[in-house]
Amino acid sequence: MSDSSTDSTSELSFFTKHEFAIRRLHSLTGIIPLGLYMVIHLTTNASLLNGVETFQWAVYLIHSPGQLLPLIEWGGIFAPLIFHAAVGIWIARSARINSSQYPFTSNKRYSWQRWTGFAALIYLFLHIMHLHGGFHADGWLSALNRVGLGQFRPYNAGSTLAAAMKVGFGVLWPAIYLVGVLCCVYHFINGLWTAGITWGLWITPKAQSRATKVCLVLGALLTIVSLSAWSAAVFNSDEDIAEMRAVEDRMYDSAVEGGMVPNNPHKRDLRPGESVDEPADGLQVSNVDLVPAS
Amino acid sequence: MIAMDSANKKRPEFINVRVKRQDAPGKQPYWQLFKIEYEPELNVISVLQRIAALAENVDGKKVAPVSWDCGCLEEVCGSCTMQINGRVRQSCSALVDRLLEDNADELVLEPMSKFPVVRDLIVDRKRLFRGLERVKAWVPVDSYYNMGSGERQLRATQEQNYPLSQCMSCGCCLDACPQYTKIELTQESGETDEQFAARQDREFDQAFVGAHALSQAMLFNNHPTGKALAGERLDALTSPGGVQGCGNAQNCVAVCPKEIPLTTSIARAGRATTIHTIKKWFDR
Repeated sequence: MSDSSTDSTSELSFFTKHEFAIRRLHSLTGIIPLGLYMVIHLTTNASLLNGVETFQWAVYLIHSPGQLLPLIEWGGIFAPLIFHAAVGIWIARSARINSSQYPFTSNKRYSWQRWTGFAALIYLFLHIMHLHGGFHADGWLSALNRVGLGQFRPYNAGSTLAAAMKVGFGVLWPAIYLVGVLCCVYHFINGLWTAGITWGLWITPKAQSRATKVCLVLGALLTIVSLSAWSAAVFNSDEDIAEMRAVEDRMYDSAVEGGMVPNNPHKRDLRPGESVDEPADGLQVSNVDLVPAS
Repeated sequence: MIAMDSANKKRPEFINVRVKRQDAPGKQPYWQLFKIEYEPELNVISVLQRIAALAENVDGKKVAPVSWDCGCLEEVCGSCTMQINGRVRQSCSALVDRLLEDNADELVLEPMSKFPVVRDLIVDRKRLFRGLERVKAWVPVDSYYNMGSGERQLRATQEQNYPLSQCMSCGCCLDACPQYTKIELTQESGETDEQFAARQDREFDQAFVGAHALSQAMLFNNHPTGKALAGERLDALTSPGGVQGCGNAQNCVAVCPKEIPLTTSIARAGRATTIHTIKKWFDR
C-alpha cells in the first residue's frame, strides 16, 4: 500500500502535483496584473471623452518606456493573460455546469464566470489583432493592415482608434467591443469576489454579502467607465477623426522634442488619407512606404 | 408537526412516479413509470414501499422491485439520499404532499449523479468516506492511556463547531457541486479486490475532496484535541484535489439538509491554507 502510493505521486502530472499553487497563481494573475491593467486601460480610454489631448497625453505616458515597452507588454500582460486563459480553460473544462438543474444565484454566477471567461478570451484575441497586432515585426503588421487589422497607432491614438471602429461596416467592431468589454468587466468583478473567498478574505455569509455590495459598486463604476470608453471610440464622424489627427500631429513634435516619448515612426499613422498636412511634416518621410491600407 | 391541509380539494386519486433504474453497475439506465394510489402524508420512502408491494409498472407489467437504501428515516443517517424532482435530498424527509404542490403530474426519482450506481437508486459513496480519511476527520485519541479531562472550550468555539458536527455524510453537497465530478472505475479481470480498492483510492485522492471534507477538516482543526493534526489536515487541503478545487458555486450550502455553513468552512479553509502555505514557504 505504502509503495503503491509513492508510485502514484510520481505518476502525477505537473499540473496535478502543483494544483494548489497554480490555482492560487491563476486567482492572483486575474487581479494583479490583469484586472488592474484592465482598469487602467479602460480609464485611459475613457479619458478620450475629455479630449484628444488628454487621451494622447495618457498614451504618451504609457509609451514613454520606449524600448522596454515590449518587455512590460509581454511580462505584465500577454504572459499572465496566456497563463490565466490556459489554466482557466482547464478549470472550466474539468467542471460540470449545472445551473439549469440548480438555478441558485451564486450557481448562475459560477456558470457566467466560465462563459464570460471564454467570451473574454475570444474577444481579447480579436481586440489585440484588430488594434495592436500582437507582434511588432514590420512584415507581420503590414500583412495585418492589409486585412484591416493592427489598426492602432499609439502616436495617433484617438484618430486611429476611432477610424478602426469604422473598419467593416462600422457596426461589427462596436458590437464586438460592447459585448466583449462587458464580459471582461463581469469576469473581473465576479472573479474579485470569488478570489476573496479563495484567499480567505471574506469568510462568513455576512462578510460575503458585504463584499458582494462592494463588488457591485465597483462593477457599476467600471461599467460606466467601459461604456464611456466605448462611446468615446465609437461615436466619431470622419471630420472628428480628421480633427483628432491634426491635434495629435501637433502634439507629436513637442512630445519628441521634450523627451517624453522616443521618436518612432512605426507608432505614427503615416497613411495618406484623412489628414492632408501630415506627409509634409518632416522627419519620417523616409518611412512612408510602410503601409497603404483599407 | 405538519398539519394536513384539509382545504386542499385538488387531491389526486393517483400519483405517477417516474424512476430512473439501472440493473447493475455500468449498465445502461432506463426509465420506468409507476402509478400508486394517493394517500395523505406519504414520504418518498413510503412511496417506494407501495411500489414494491405493487410490483408492476403503469402498464400492469410485472417488473423487478425498485432497489433503494434507507436507515434512520429521520434525516440523520443520509443513506436514503437521492435526486427527487431533479434536486438531491433525503427521501425520508421528502414529503409527497409538498412535492405534489410543486409538480402535481409526477414524482421523478433518480439516483445521486456523482457516485457509481450499484442498482436503481442505490449508489456507492465510497469516495465520500475516502474524502474524510484524506483530511483526517477525527480526533487523534487511541484511549490507550487516561489523558485526563479535555481542554475547556470557549462557548464561541462550541457554537462555531456544533453546526459543523451535524454533518451526516449524506453527499448532497457533493452531488450538487459542479466541481465534484463522477469517478466510476470498473474492476479489471485478474485484479484483486485489494488492488482495485487501491486503484480507486489513487483516483479519488487526485480529485476534488468536496465540501463535506473541507468542513470536517475545519471542525477538527478547531477542536482542542483535534487541532494536534491541524498541519497535516492543511497539508491535505493543499495537495491535489484539495481546497483549490472549489469553484465558489456555493450549491453545497444551498442544498445541505443540515444547513451547515459549508461556504464559511471553505473560506476558512482558504484562509488557513493561505497562511499555512506562506508559513511553510518561509520555514523551509
